[in-house]
Amino acid sequence: MSLTKEDALSKAQKDLAKRLNVEESSIKEKSTDEVDFPDMALGAGTEDEMSGQMLTRGWRIRLDSAGKTFEYRADKNQVRLFNFKGKNYKI
Amino acid sequence: MNRNNFLPHVALALVLILVAAFAGQLRRWQKQWKSQVRIIPAEKKHPATIDEIALTDSLHLGRPEILVRFKPGVSEETIDRITSQLNDRVEDRIENAPGLDAIDDLDNEDATELVAQYSKMPEVEYAEENYEISLPDAVEGPLVPVLPHDPQFSDQWALSNEGQRGGKKGADISAPLAWATTTGSDKVVVAVLDSGVDYNHADLVNNMWVRPANLPPYHDDDLGIIDDVNGFDAIDNSSDPMDDNGHGTHCAGIIGAEGSNDIGIAGVDWKVQIMPLKFMNAGGFGTTKDAIEAINYVIERKKAGVNVRIISASWGSTQKSRALEDIIRKAYEEGILFVAAAGNSSTNNDRAPHFPSSYNVPNVVSVAALDRNDQLASFSNYGPKSVAIAAPGVDILSTWLGNEYEEKSGTSMATPVVAGVAALVLANEPGLTVDELKKKLLTSVDKLDSLNGKVTSGGRINAAKAVE
Repeated sequence: MSLTKEDALSKAQKDLAKRLNVEESSIKEKSTDEVDFPDMALGAGTEDEMSGQMLTRGWRIRLDSAGKTFEYRADKNQVRLFNFKGKNYKI
Repeated sequence: MNRNNFLPHVALALVLILVAAFAGQLRRWQKQWKSQVRIIPAEKKHPATIDEIALTDSLHLGRPEILVRFKPGVSEETIDRITSQLNDRVEDRIENAPGLDAIDDLDNEDATELVAQYSKMPEVEYAEENYEISLPDAVEGPLVPVLPHDPQFSDQWALSNEGQRGGKKGADISAPLAWATTTGSDKVVVAVLDSGVDYNHADLVNNMWVRPANLPPYHDDDLGIIDDVNGFDAIDNSSDPMDDNGHGTHCAGIIGAEGSNDIGIAGVDWKVQIMPLKFMNAGGFGTTKDAIEAINYVIERKKAGVNVRIISASWGSTQKSRALEDIIRKAYEEGILFVAAAGNSSTNNDRAPHFPSSYNVPNVVSVAALDRNDQLASFSNYGPKSVAIAAPGVDILSTWLGNEYEEKSGTSMATPVVAGVAALVLANEPGLTVDELKKKLLTSVDKLDSLNGKVTSGGRINAAKAVE
């Protein structure tokens, strides 16, 4: 699996729609930026998870649903939901 | 002049000239010699070096304690009587200096007291100690830096920073100077606990640990028998720790890419055995349970006789695990150093700990990252109480999947630098305990202003000092 930016965006939109139980078309992309995350869990490690402490290039994807912003983090290997109701999730 | 006497006179003149010339040269040699030697009082000997012993024997020094010059007119009989009364003896009469005798004290009295005794005598012009002459320490000479034949070595600023790409000259671990002492040993095994290692990489293949033929396959009561020829994969509990991410291969190359093989780069250790362990997946993350399983494997292999003395752990999280701490403590009891990344959140680990680097276990060495200008990397965690040491961790060139090389940054990269230096130290001093090894690393740093109040040791690791 090697994700492109578009793949990652699509996966994030689908995931958020499912979590919020809304139509995927209602999820809008606010921004997608290329950034260096602090580790290989993209700074969004989950419970009981250890990650390589190497800076990792990826995308910060901000999505909007009904005026609220949600942050996804992705790289070629993975997509993660950051700080959703206080927790991180691997998608 | 009678013609018949001419030739004998010329011959005599030539002999005299030669003698004079020889005497002059002798004085010059004497002056040179005096300028090169240091003098140590005979009774204040330090443990002799081989050179000193040879010199002492060749000059017949060391037996007579003092040199005494008797006044003109004092007969040999008088001198013999004086020395006999003091239970001394004339060990040698210096023919070309009348009255000068080397005197040996048969009671082995202190030379200073003997000098005082003789100096008071009316027959004596002077007395002095017979000093032992030794070659200066400088005969050993300074270490000469050793450079490897690896085409990309000039990009390895962490090992030798010549100011390339805007860096600060000397902001490195002094590897070439360390290599003058040791380039590592294939007797030392370093476990790279990571995403596995590409053990077929051309720059690593000769430094990979392979289970010795006389060591039975790994047996775990729950996992069964695993034919761990190349290491261990704790994710699948299998025998194939092949890297599918690249992170572990990068860390392995920093420690032990084969040095001076005309391929790629040099590791901190030119020769070493890398034991590859996989607990992180292709994404570069894994579970605490699998990390524990892999550490347990290392401990068991150590117990079975494998000389695995170091675990390099370029990973972590903010989640504390008592179980992980316990197994690291068990590794300490087995004499295994645990080198761990301090983390990349730019935060103070004293306040917001990062694990496993923040566990208060004696074998844990927490490592922060430096850039090529000896500054703490902008991303690096720190902690004057909980982070031990710093090492280069920005734009570090090392091995990658598919026989490639990549530059990466993180405390992940600083960690194997320290693990590699620890392996160098063990190559040089294999008998060190884990406590001694850790102390050696932390006391061999170059103190940096930029690290003042940031790490316990206050400095950057220095390989050359560590192997002194």
